[in-house]
Amino acid sequence: MKLKDFIVREAVVPVLEAGDRDGAIRELVTSLAKAGAIGNDAVEPILAALIKREQTGSTGFGKGVAVPHVKHASVKQMVGTVGRSVGGIDFAALDHQPVYSIFLLLSPENQPQQHLQAMNIVFTNLQDDMFRKFLRQSETREAIVELLDEADQGK
Amino acid sequence: MEIKKGIGVSPGVVISTAVVLDAEDLLIPRRSVPPEQAPAEIERLSAAITQANEDLGKLRDRVTAEVGKEIGAIFDFHIGVLRDQSVIKQIRNEISSNSVTAEYATSVVMRKYANTLLQLNDKYLSDRVKDVYDIEKRLLRLLIGQKHEDLLHLSRDVVVIAHDLLPSQTAALNRQHVKGFATDVGGRTSHTAIVARAMGIPAVVGLGNITSEVSGGDTVIIDGARGVVIVNPDREQLEEHQEAGRKFDLMETELRQDAPLPAQTRDGHQVSLLANIEFPEDIDDSLLFGGEGIGLYRTEFLYLASEHEPSEEEHYSAYADALRRLEGRPLVIRTLDLGADKYTQEKAQNPERNPFLGDRSIRMCLHDIPMFKRQLRAIMRASTLGDVRVMFPMICTLLELRQAKMVLNDVMEELEDEGINFRRDIPVGMMVEVPSAALMAGQFAKEVNFFSIGTNDLIQYTLAVDRTNEKVAGLFCPAHPSVLALVRDVIRAGRRNGISVSICGEMAGDPLYTLLLLGLELNIFSMNAPDLPEVKKIIRSTTMEHARLVARRVMSFESERQVMHFLREETRKIIPEVF
Amino acid sequence: MCRGAGEAQNEVRDSFSLNIMSRASRETSIRNTLGLHARPAMQFVDVANQFSSRVTVYKGGDEPAEADGKSVMQMIILAATEGTPLKIEAEGEDAQQAVDKLAELVEDKFGEE
Repeated sequence: MKLKDFIVREAVVPVLEAGDRDGAIRELVTSLAKAGAIGNDAVEPILAALIKREQTGSTGFGKGVAVPHVKHASVKQMVGTVGRSVGGIDFAALDHQPVYSIFLLLSPENQPQQHLQAMNIVFTNLQDDMFRKFLRQSETREAIVELLDEADQGK
Repeated sequence: MEIKKGIGVSPGVVISTAVVLDAEDLLIPRRSVPPEQAPAEIERLSAAITQANEDLGKLRDRVTAEVGKEIGAIFDFHIGVLRDQSVIKQIRNEISSNSVTAEYATSVVMRKYANTLLQLNDKYLSDRVKDVYDIEKRLLRLLIGQKHEDLLHLSRDVVVIAHDLLPSQTAALNRQHVKGFATDVGGRTSHTAIVARAMGIPAVVGLGNITSEVSGGDTVIIDGARGVVIVNPDREQLEEHQEAGRKFDLMETELRQDAPLPAQTRDGHQVSLLANIEFPEDIDDSLLFGGEGIGLYRTEFLYLASEHEPSEEEHYSAYADALRRLEGRPLVIRTLDLGADKYTQEKAQNPERNPFLGDRSIRMCLHDIPMFKRQLRAIMRASTLGDVRVMFPMICTLLELRQAKMVLNDVMEELEDEGINFRRDIPVGMMVEVPSAALMAGQFAKEVNFFSIGTNDLIQYTLAVDRTNEKVAGLFCPAHPSVLALVRDVIRAGRRNGISVSICGEMAGDPLYTLLLLGLELNIFSMNAPDLPEVKKIIRSTTMEHARLVARRVMSFESERQVMHFLREETRKIIPEVF
Repeated sequence: MCRGAGEAQNEVRDSFSLNIMSRASRETSIRNTLGLHARPAMQFVDVANQFSSRVTVYKGGDEPAEADGKSVMQMIILAATEGTPLKIEAEGEDAQQAVDKLAELVEDKFGEE
């Protein structure tokens, strides 16, 4: 599986406006809806589920990245997107540091294998110091997409 | 009759038949024959030699044709030896004078030659030793045929003689019938030593060339306390050692009788004594020796014992087996702690320059989440079958611990989604074995349910010593005041934060340190099963008051020597026969 | 009784049979840098086996030893290094030819170098 199999390019947000966790997640979900990846009426329920999941346990893995994710009935096909924060967002991350890069992942309810694979790809890339650094420095949608493509080829 | 001296690494005396492991695990099934069968054995020998010559001739011709005369010529020596009448005569004599099988005679004679060649101070000639072993192997294969034994399917008690024992070999042997080990290389901390101590069987390592002195079928005495191996002993030696063996067994039986007694000091303070295991089968002995549960289940052998990474089912099956044997007693499972050993390094594409400090253990797991999750899933599924606790090894930063816990949480989420049962409140702990964790024990204690101090690695990292390096292994010492200070502080941090602290390193099973650890308020000791009785005896013979006094004195000392001397004295006072 | 050429040849009449046992010997030394390793040892044995006589090789020097000239194992265990004195002895019908051919082989450095 490759990142391009589920990351929706048009929904990538190179500069997040929100400075708080819930706002940033909302921005990303809305972006996916605008790109047609999820239905407009699915935004609120999915958002609620994501925030509930964050409250159970932060997906801020440390080192400035977070991977909010959820499995939901309104999701027909696995989709994801990337958001970048310039100023950093408090995600109650494991290392108590701000988050600068967010990978959002939405999966249908009954495809656990796919979901796992996608999470693994995202994690593997995020473990790479260089990848994280470049992601943080990518200022436009094109730059981010290019980085993802390179990562796909490298793996 | 040969007496060989090596390093005794696991006490006890055993007198048994030897099986010799070569690289292909070829064992000699039988040694003696009735004298009237000798001519038949000589016939078998001739047939094997003729066949071997034929095979070698064909092989040489083919190789010469395909690759060249130079390469084909390497078989000339083999052919030359097989045609050497004096060699053949030697083997025949061995058969008829000693009434032995053709394979035994072949092995004895070829190994004698190998030995002779080794003694010559000529590197080129000692290279021929490999050829001699090859010839031996070729003949043995022809003589023994397909029906050769392997270590898993033994039908009688044996002792295993080998150059060295790999985890893959010890993992695949019949624990019922293997009664002792003797190896050419190795030291106190080599794999052979560890497994022998865990199995409670005698072992001697570092013998130099025991494999060329022993043939499969020989009678061998292994005295693991004195570090002596006797090959084909005479009657006097047999009797002497049988007596020593009897005494040792008696002592063991006495100690074992105390097994059901509680691990309680004379002034009523109760501690827990648990066992360390590598396989579920070890649990039986652990309980026999008085263990109340398992303080450390080293899961590495699931990975080492086979060619492939164990599947979730294979993990689950092992954990379920372990819990069944424990009948409700606790089981602490340590997640994969591999990577720095030469076995994984040999297989690696890019071997690390310092694997000891490299991508191993929890770090390796966090770099391979799918693999990590496989083990965690199995552990969580098994959590409904008994009292399971999970423990992360080699944690050195808070972030690592939190990431590991996060992965565990993910696993719980997945299982929930799949409708599989598990125990959400499973106790989650960590090994305190890296100095950073020990020094920050106070912070770590707030994020786990329990600590287990891995003194083996903690000592290595703190004193910067590789205990498997014979040149510096002497520096490795649990009694070093710095180590004792760390241990004391970790125990304190645990108590202050209301979490339990155990020690699962060798220090916990060493009777020399029992008084001290008791006095430092350690409540849980986890050790190899055979060490349990003695530790329990010491605990039952002392009072907390005395132990605390001992600890206070010890913590004021400056050197390991002082510490060890004092502890020896104090322990002898309560149990004179312990050292 | 005929006396042939060569050093120290004797004839011994075996009184229990009609065979004439010849004995011959030659003294020489190893010329090869690498000494009598496996390959020359095998060559030696191959040549010795061309003759019916019994062949014995005596090694001189610090650690004298002897070996059956037709046994490759015994010959390499001799561990004869460069310069080691050797006495090649043969007993049998073709004893003289045997020691001559063998000494030649040794002095020829076994075709090496």
